[in-house]
Amino acid sequence: MSNTLSTGAANSARAVGSEKSPLLEVENLRVSFRIDKHTTFEAVKGISLAIPVNSTVALVGESGSGKSVSAMAILGLLPEESAIVSPDSAIRYRGRDLLKESADALRQVRGKEISVIFQEPMTSLNPVFSVGYQIIEILRLHMNMNGAAARRRAIELLTEVGIPNPELRIDAYPHELSGGQQQRVMIAMAIACEPKLLIADEPTTALDVTIQKQILDLIAALQKKHHMSVLFITHDLGVVGEIADDVVVMRNGEIREQGTVAQIFGSPSDAYTKALLACRPRLDRRPMRLPVIDDFMNGAAPTEFKERPRGLTPNDEIILEVKELGKTFYAREGLFGKRAIPAVKSVSFKLAKGKTLGIVGESGSGKTTVGLTVMRLHAATSGEVLFDGKDLLALSPGEFMRYKRRIQIVFQNPYASLNPRFTVGNILIEPMEIHAIGNSSAERTKLAAELLDKVGLPRTAMHKYPHEFSGGQRQRIAIARCLTMKPDVLICDESVSALDVSVQAQVLNLLQDLQDEYKMSYLFISHDLTVVKYMSDQVMVMNNGEVVEFADADEIYLNPKQAYTQKLLASVPQGFAAHQSA
Amino acid sequence: MTAYLIRRLWQMIPTLAGVVLLLFFLFNWVGGDPAQVLAGKISNPEQIANIRKQLGVDLPYWQQLLIFLKQIVTFDFGRSWSTNEEVSHIFLTRVGPSLTIMVPLLILQTVFGVLFAIGVAYVRGSLTDRIIMIVCTVAMSISFLVYIIVGQYVFGFVLGWFPVQGWSDSFGKNLVTYAPLPILLALFVSVAPTLRLYRSFFLDEISQDYVRTARAKGLTEKTVMLRHVMRNAMIPILTDVAIALPGLMIGSFLLEKFFSIPGLGREVITAVGRSDFPVIKAVTVYLAVFTMFINLAVDLLYKWIDPRVEFK
Amino acid sequence: MSAVLDTMPQTSEVSPGLWRLAGRRLLKDRVGMVSAVVVLFFLLIIIASAFGWVAADWGREVGVSYANPSFIAGQENLEAQTMNAAKKKDDVPLTDLSAVDPLAPWYAEWEARTKRIEVTQVERAETLPFGGDKWGRDIVKKTIKGAQSSIVVGLVAAFAAAFLGTLFGALAGYFGGWIGDFFEWFYNVFTSIPYILLVLAFAAVFASSPFLAQFRGVPMVILILGVTGWTGIYRLVRAEYMKHRSREYVRAAEAIGASHGRRMFIQILPNVSHVVLVQLSQHAVGFIKAEVILSFLGFGVPIDSVSWGTMLAEAQNELIIGKWWQLAAAGASMAVLVTAFSMFTDALRDALDPKLK
Repeated sequence: MSNTLSTGAANSARAVGSEKSPLLEVENLRVSFRIDKHTTFEAVKGISLAIPVNSTVALVGESGSGKSVSAMAILGLLPEESAIVSPDSAIRYRGRDLLKESADALRQVRGKEISVIFQEPMTSLNPVFSVGYQIIEILRLHMNMNGAAARRRAIELLTEVGIPNPELRIDAYPHELSGGQQQRVMIAMAIACEPKLLIADEPTTALDVTIQKQILDLIAALQKKHHMSVLFITHDLGVVGEIADDVVVMRNGEIREQGTVAQIFGSPSDAYTKALLACRPRLDRRPMRLPVIDDFMNGAAPTEFKERPRGLTPNDEIILEVKELGKTFYAREGLFGKRAIPAVKSVSFKLAKGKTLGIVGESGSGKTTVGLTVMRLHAATSGEVLFDGKDLLALSPGEFMRYKRRIQIVFQNPYASLNPRFTVGNILIEPMEIHAIGNSSAERTKLAAELLDKVGLPRTAMHKYPHEFSGGQRQRIAIARCLTMKPDVLICDESVSALDVSVQAQVLNLLQDLQDEYKMSYLFISHDLTVVKYMSDQVMVMNNGEVVEFADADEIYLNPKQAYTQKLLASVPQGFAAHQSA
Repeated sequence: MTAYLIRRLWQMIPTLAGVVLLLFFLFNWVGGDPAQVLAGKISNPEQIANIRKQLGVDLPYWQQLLIFLKQIVTFDFGRSWSTNEEVSHIFLTRVGPSLTIMVPLLILQTVFGVLFAIGVAYVRGSLTDRIIMIVCTVAMSISFLVYIIVGQYVFGFVLGWFPVQGWSDSFGKNLVTYAPLPILLALFVSVAPTLRLYRSFFLDEISQDYVRTARAKGLTEKTVMLRHVMRNAMIPILTDVAIALPGLMIGSFLLEKFFSIPGLGREVITAVGRSDFPVIKAVTVYLAVFTMFINLAVDLLYKWIDPRVEFK
Repeated sequence: MSAVLDTMPQTSEVSPGLWRLAGRRLLKDRVGMVSAVVVLFFLLIIIASAFGWVAADWGREVGVSYANPSFIAGQENLEAQTMNAAKKKDDVPLTDLSAVDPLAPWYAEWEARTKRIEVTQVERAETLPFGGDKWGRDIVKKTIKGAQSSIVVGLVAAFAAAFLGTLFGALAGYFGGWIGDFFEWFYNVFTSIPYILLVLAFAAVFASSPFLAQFRGVPMVILILGVTGWTGIYRLVRAEYMKHRSREYVRAAEAIGASHGRRMFIQILPNVSHVVLVQLSQHAVGFIKAEVILSFLGFGVPIDSVSWGTMLAEAQNELIIGKWWQLAAAGASMAVLVTAFSMFTDALRDALDPKLK
């Protein structure tokens, strides 16, 4: 199934210093995990790949593909109690098999010749030591530097990774830095000893999109400058297109396809790769339905889709109007004082019936708070929410109960929004009991079963517990729960952000189908600009609690007027197509 | 930081008031009339009448409360109902022996606990680990009483390594001759639970992400444990030690009883047996205050060991 | 509609929830199961004892003083010999004092009357299965009865403390605000006083209160331990409720219109109950140990009752004269029970929250 990997000759610009033999070769890697005394689970099922010198290899896959496990196996960083690496596997680096090396020999390689940066920089740094201490530690270990020299070098490294005021920051503790800065510190530690290979395990997934761009640029610059290779693990094909020379696509522990970035993006041969490329929403097209994995795996690859028109017409009825909504949180400060944290400052918008308003912004922009405040899950500090002729914020809790069922919400984390101790049946029937929907228990059960059909889950799910379902399935259950009350407005608060790309496409299609059928209005909140453009008729951009720009979806992406909106759009990884034309 | 300090001191007041109220409720209301309480224990009617007058038993409750408050503030709880010794004197003279036992015990207990816990954490999952855990569980299920009875018998009576009981007036002699056996026995008993607890602290830290980073940097397993893990595990360990500090003053009443050590714990036990309320009340109030101040000191200390802590 | 793409398990029966999964894991844990059996064995014995089917006559002095255990029947028993010797004194003829003794004329009459009364002279046993105490009471029966006292106190007090701790913790953690502040204040008051001191203070007051005199004995100890022991559980439950109340499933419950009560007890409590169960178990062990110490000091069960603690109190003086069986019986049975209970608690905790060790 895998193509032979080109050795970098195709990209002449990067040919400087490239040798014929690869830097690192993975041969038939097999990794299993012990779940309990009797069961093991095979996470990586015999993969082989090669990383050339002085190039970037992207290891792409969705959750459960085994990409992280493979990368961690290189340096022996898998949990020793549960991980079993097959003795037939080999990882060759400079003529040695890293899997068979002694612990001491492996330690010589770690941090010095091969280093790693992880996904969560906050927890990957030791919270009780300063960042300088942690960088100096590795310098003293591998480079034998003494105190003063190490400190100087640490400051140099901090400057190189772009930390402002490095002489001061060197003594800062990790929690005093922002997420982006923490990741830069991790990178500084990783390149301190001039390694030949940098393994980057989803380093930007936890960061905002503007910061993500900065970190990606930094890694690319360092790769060129130090002539090191980068093994970049990610699920985001857009990122891959921008930075990679070679691409390896994994699914369920196996390699589906590998090749140069041009081959993979231009002429993918594997069905899964094609599906993965196709089911991401894109900024330049908006098909009626997103293609999903199954479409490709069953051989029937859809060709052209009709475009879906979006936008408001003058006849559209306004169902929800928000006027100058404000929400301030208070934290205690000083002896008796309170510190005000304004999360939302005077936000106004209108939502039309049967249409979608996308609210987009980075973390801390206040977009989620807007959604929660409209539903009165937070108590608003100021403003009005006009629905069906009434100001919802002014109603008493008793009066508001009647309106509660008409505005519902689907949360972000599918693993946290369903009560682990309730069966799916309980979850669906509970809202019906509270709002007196259906006249008997039997009728409610019937309604619940019908809703399961509607969201594409089997009726046997009624008696099962949430932990038996995948993320995408749980989101469907959450959507079904909202549907029991037949709401007029559905707030989707980052509802697809935690899902894999292929699953995301399914859930987005489901949401769209439901909107088409029930004419529900959506408030679609997300940080992902491409998804928002796909789903929304109108878009509202937020930053620091305020509305930066508000326009029809197509308009805002073609002609962003505000500087912030432009910056946001520029940070979106464009994928290979844009990269090539650059 | 000053604002934090002031706020904390301010917050102590309602707690202290609560303790006073609780004790008042217990001793003056539930406890009842000293006449009945002491009925079988003191035969001198004049003495009982005196005591009742002192407490103001015939006065309305709020006046009784004021009397109690005055006692606290002036450190004058009157005299023990049984020995007639001044309560403040009792307190001051008995604290010393208690501390002579408890302070070395706490130090040794913590040191051994940490050492063993690191050792066990290092070999986690192995047979040694499991055997040690089982031994600990069994050790913890034998009552302290049995340890003391048997220990006193074996080491003091049979082998004669230590005196079976006793105390002297010299601090040095106490520390070297009379304290070792009780401390040793208490150590036997406390090492097991301490070891289990500290081991769990270490294991929690080992599963954190930053340990993976440390290994990825190429550090030896020993360095990872002793430098990175230890430093983080010290935080909950010090919390645990801090929580034990208020208990130092009262000492281990069982040890003091068995070994005839004139400490505060034994005093309290005797007082309970004799329904000697003034002694119990005084000890409780002062220990409560002491505890609150220790807690505040520990919270301030936190900033020094855990850089993430913020004073708000 | 989009088809079902993710593979679903083929079975259609009711899937296991938390408890059934935990149960399965527990059954596979051999150490846990053995411990459970041991604990069950003790429980059965104390139920039998409570109903009076066994050891009801523990107080009868059936043996000689310090009767030897059957397995070392031959050992010298000075105390028994002294007692027997004392009895035999009756055979020594008395010096005749009838000349000066004012009661002398009546002796014959009284002698005759006494002979007419039937007195069943119980033959005192020389040895008992595990020996006898100073009054010749059967150690085995005492141990069983003692187990009853200690275990009943431990379990019931643990339930009481768990009930209070969970209720307070739920209210404080869920509502926060001034309700939370109130409970925190209450908690601070109780925890400012070192635990032992608190228990002793309560013991002192309860023991001497005329009002509470009616509860003397086991109920009093339960009351004391329950009223002072809720703080640990409170702390944990409060932390759990604070953690869960901002979880999305609770937010979702609020969004669909669930009331506070429903959220607290129908939504959150099932997610917290396994923590409470483990705490309950641990507290039971701690309270058993505490009861033993309280009874030892005389603040526990009343004089006419027996507990492992009172047995150890007697044993304290017996060891010097070489009578070790009461100490061994009480100490060992307590050790076995507590070890089994502790291991069972550990197994329960691992079954409910498995982590790869």
